[in-house]
Amino acid sequence: MPARNQSVRILYIDDEENNLQAFKASFRRQYEIYTANSAAEGLKILQNVDLHVIIADQKMPKTTGVEFFKSIAETYPDPIRILLTGYTDIDALADAINHGDIYRYIQKPWNDLELHNSIKNAYDAYRAKVDLRNKVAELEKTNNELNRFIYSISHELRAPLVSVIGIVNLVKMEGLYDSSGEYWGLIETCSNKLDYYIQKTLQYYKNNKNNTDASEVDFTKMISELVEVYSYADKDTQFTIHVDQEIPFLGDVFRIEVILGNLISNAIKYQKVTELNKKVNIEVNVKPDLAHISISDNGMGILNEHLEKIFTQFFKSKVHHGSGLGLFIVKEALNKIDGRISVSSDLDKGTTFKITIPNIK
Amino acid sequence: MLNKTNKVMLIDDNEIDLKINAKLISLFKLFDETIICQSAEEALDYLNKYSNESDKLPSFILLDIQMPDMDGFDFLEQYKNLSKTFTDRCTIAMLSSTLDFGDIQRAEANPYVVKLLKKPLSLPELTKLV
Repeated sequence: MPARNQSVRILYIDDEENNLQAFKASFRRQYEIYTANSAAEGLKILQNVDLHVIIADQKMPKTTGVEFFKSIAETYPDPIRILLTGYTDIDALADAINHGDIYRYIQKPWNDLELHNSIKNAYDAYRAKVDLRNKVAELEKTNNELNRFIYSISHELRAPLVSVIGIVNLVKMEGLYDSSGEYWGLIETCSNKLDYYIQKTLQYYKNNKNNTDASEVDFTKMISELVEVYSYADKDTQFTIHVDQEIPFLGDVFRIEVILGNLISNAIKYQKVTELNKKVNIEVNVKPDLAHISISDNGMGILNEHLEKIFTQFFKSKVHHGSGLGLFIVKEALNKIDGRISVSSDLDKGTTFKITIPNIK
Repeated sequence: MLNKTNKVMLIDDNEIDLKINAKLISLFKLFDETIICQSAEEALDYLNKYSNESDKLPSFILLDIQMPDMDGFDFLEQYKNLSKTFTDRCTIAMLSSTLDFGDIQRAEANPYVVKLLKKPLSLPELTKLV
């Protein structure tokens, strides 16, 4: 016998002493067996022993097998239950299945092999149940740790970085920016890059959390705020914004902001250096079921062979270094809210992204 | 505001940020005087100590959120017990490097807080509130 079976603990409850003896005789070599001649006695054992499988006879004085199983359904949900009965009582069976959480029903007199197999299966079911619960607990723990980690990235890791950016700003205001060759400029570039990565990482993990929310979206307000934020560093680009929204739109504000924010920031970032007339055109059209949004620029455009890859993680073009995260996050966020995106682009002429987002209502 | 000096109180456990923000404020002379507190407790002690000397009290407070022991939100809990004559004429903006949505909503839902400013403190943003 494999050692594993030695530790399978079974309680058998039956008011007929002969049955208890017969059961012991057949199974004591394979399992650790406990017997009781009434539900009350059985409960006492249950309170003291960590049992895996409980077999109970249905027809007992005072408390029947099903009544016993019902009574422990809440307090001892884990052990797998097998009901043993000498006669076919449909009502008892229905009751057992509906309220007693019974795993198997076996007729008396039992066949040793059949009962043996049932016990084996019951024990496997017990293990699966406990393993699943442990896995869920483990996952919850990992999830909580991840949440704490994300929170600490957004505070502990970012706080000193933000101090550095603050110092660079002061250096600029005091007119010292060019005082050490290009060193201040390099510090600024590196700090901004690091901050960008931190922000994208947070966006990615926040997007991965499942809960989507449905609150009212005012596209005019959202887009003008986003444009203000992202054009802060680059005042050259001219924005034309048309929002046609006559009806309320319900959607996931965080994700929609992430999507539009990344696209707007890209439209600004990937302008041609030589272009004197940098333009970004944003159009929003809100219909009862969908919002159609198009964001186009007259920037550097995207190579045809790159168009399919731009939404994959860490894809960067050789010439223009992005993080390879922005559009990947856009795509991931759209997936979460059932949105769609398409892109068309002409090299050196510009790029247009078209997205549709469902109105949740 | 004649004859009265305009004071700002900075509350932050991070010495470097205190230095940066004090410098920014003095560079652009947004206030006449800066009161620097390295903890929320220190700030409360100050406000209680001078509760009867209104010329020593600030008209604007920049309050950091993440601080050990007593954080920005704990400070606000105590702040509401201060005299109404003072709190009515004092503006509070919270300051944080947070990107956490929850923190932002929580800060701006507080009746004493006009806005949550993000670090690094931006001069145009601050000027709008002063």
